[in-house]
Amino acid sequence: MNSQIVSPNRAAAGHRGPRLVGAVNWLGLWTLYLKEVRRFLNVFTQTLVAPMVTTLLFLAIFALALGGAGRAAVAGVPYILFLAPGLIMMTLMQNSFANTSSSIVIAKVQGNIVDVLMPPLSASELTLGVAGGGVTRGLLVGLAAASAMALFVPLRTHAPFAMAYFAINGALMLSLLGLIGGIWAEKFDHMAAITNFVITPFSFLSGTFYSIERLPEAWRFVAHFNPFFYLIDGFRYGFIGHADGSLQIGAFVVLGVNAALWAIAHRMFATGYRLKA
Amino acid sequence: MSAAGDSRIAVAPPRPRRFGAVNGRAMWSLYRREQMRFLRYAGESIAGPAISSRVFLAVFHLALGGEGPVPGVTMAQFLVPGVIMFSLAHSAFESAAVALFHDKIEGIIGDILGAPVTPLEVIAALTLAAASNALVTAAVILALMSFFVDIGFHAPALILVFALAAALVFALLGLIVAICAERWDHYSAAETFVVFPVTVLSGAFFAVSSLPPAVQWPFLANPVFHALEGFRYGFTGYAQASLWVAAGVLAALILALGATALGLYARGYKLKP
Repeated sequence: MNSQIVSPNRAAAGHRGPRLVGAVNWLGLWTLYLKEVRRFLNVFTQTLVAPMVTTLLFLAIFALALGGAGRAAVAGVPYILFLAPGLIMMTLMQNSFANTSSSIVIAKVQGNIVDVLMPPLSASELTLGVAGGGVTRGLLVGLAAASAMALFVPLRTHAPFAMAYFAINGALMLSLLGLIGGIWAEKFDHMAAITNFVITPFSFLSGTFYSIERLPEAWRFVAHFNPFFYLIDGFRYGFIGHADGSLQIGAFVVLGVNAALWAIAHRMFATGYRLKA
Repeated sequence: MSAAGDSRIAVAPPRPRRFGAVNGRAMWSLYRREQMRFLRYAGESIAGPAISSRVFLAVFHLALGGEGPVPGVTMAQFLVPGVIMFSLAHSAFESAAVALFHDKIEGIIGDILGAPVTPLEVIAALTLAAASNALVTAAVILALMSFFVDIGFHAPALILVFALAAALVFALLGLIVAICAERWDHYSAAETFVVFPVTVLSGAFFAVSSLPPAVQWPFLANPVFHALEGFRYGFTGYAQASLWVAAGVLAALILALGATALGLYARGYKLKP
């Protein structure tokens, strides 16, 4: 009511009343998302080109290591075709994680996290905006890596829907993990520890480079509880039409894990855990 | 009152410390400083590379199988020197580059530039510090690997010599990058587009000898290949190329990079306003 009283003066001075926000603050959400995307596009050599080159080099090493030896195909396809989707998924996951985790930790350490916490954005909008930036980076890196590989390897598409489903869920899972890790971490050291001791080992050891049928019995059993394994396995199915595990179980596992992670991230923003004094 | 006055007169002003041709204490201080910086972040600087080396070994071993590309050597025995050399090179580069670049961008470099140390003393101390940091990381990784792989020690002296040579090369490279870089982007670009490719395309994870002869030349031109040849020979007793050539290439490279780093530092290139 008060605003209506002063509004004529404000209007004269070129001011308008506060913008009315409905159930969802679309403009705020879009602004937050754009900030997250522009953050990584600003340094695209580090965030897009570097992962693409690294992935290509991994492909090159394995191609060279296997050489012309004509090593037995994995899962009925030449090894290089088996490897390529795994590498794309690995770099997609690592970059989604890096985007959200670095965004939150840097903002916290530098203190400019208040600029995100103060505006009228709900916990859901914060989660969606930040995670959306990570998903975008992951998918863009995955697309860049796939396009670069397609120049050297005859990539096939068997099931585009499975490919998209597992790519989006993988990017979302790692974005949410990065978000949660970023909120939990108090120093850059903590973030580096999570990246070094959790994300990198898991993304390497979850079937990127080999079929889990090569693992000893006990480890093969453990692999079936690893959500990263289902992400890589399902994504690879989209290319070569073969999965080591069950696609249905995988689809439900990744969806369930994402729902749980979303709830945790939402709760952290809602309560201000390690964000608000 | 007079007693206080007397004592004031009695205390002579401190005289400047004298030192001979080499300011040994300054070099030792710089060396210790970099060493302490490295050990303070042991979780990232030692444990991180140790874990990723173990992961690399597991991945390549599982993907490529048990037989090595070289007769008489298992795949794991072939890979261990490569994995260690990879971490050693990255560790030396990062240790040297991050320390100097951090000091430069934060403005702390003035404390070194203003001190009575010659450019040669600074470059030598920083290079040796980064190289010894990298050797510590490599030793920890080697100890970790020995739990999983039956590592042979064919010629321990050669292992040490080639490890030191590689560490010096990458430490000097790190210093040059730190001097030339203006932003962190430049540093990470150097790491992604130079250090990473030359280390992975060196034969660390595959045998260059098993490639078709026509495509071997780019790998033979890679200095890291030569460092790795000597290093791996020390473990397995197998080398494709001549170790004398390898030693010559590395010695020449260390001299060239050392002269470059020294020249840039002495001129104050991108260090002094």
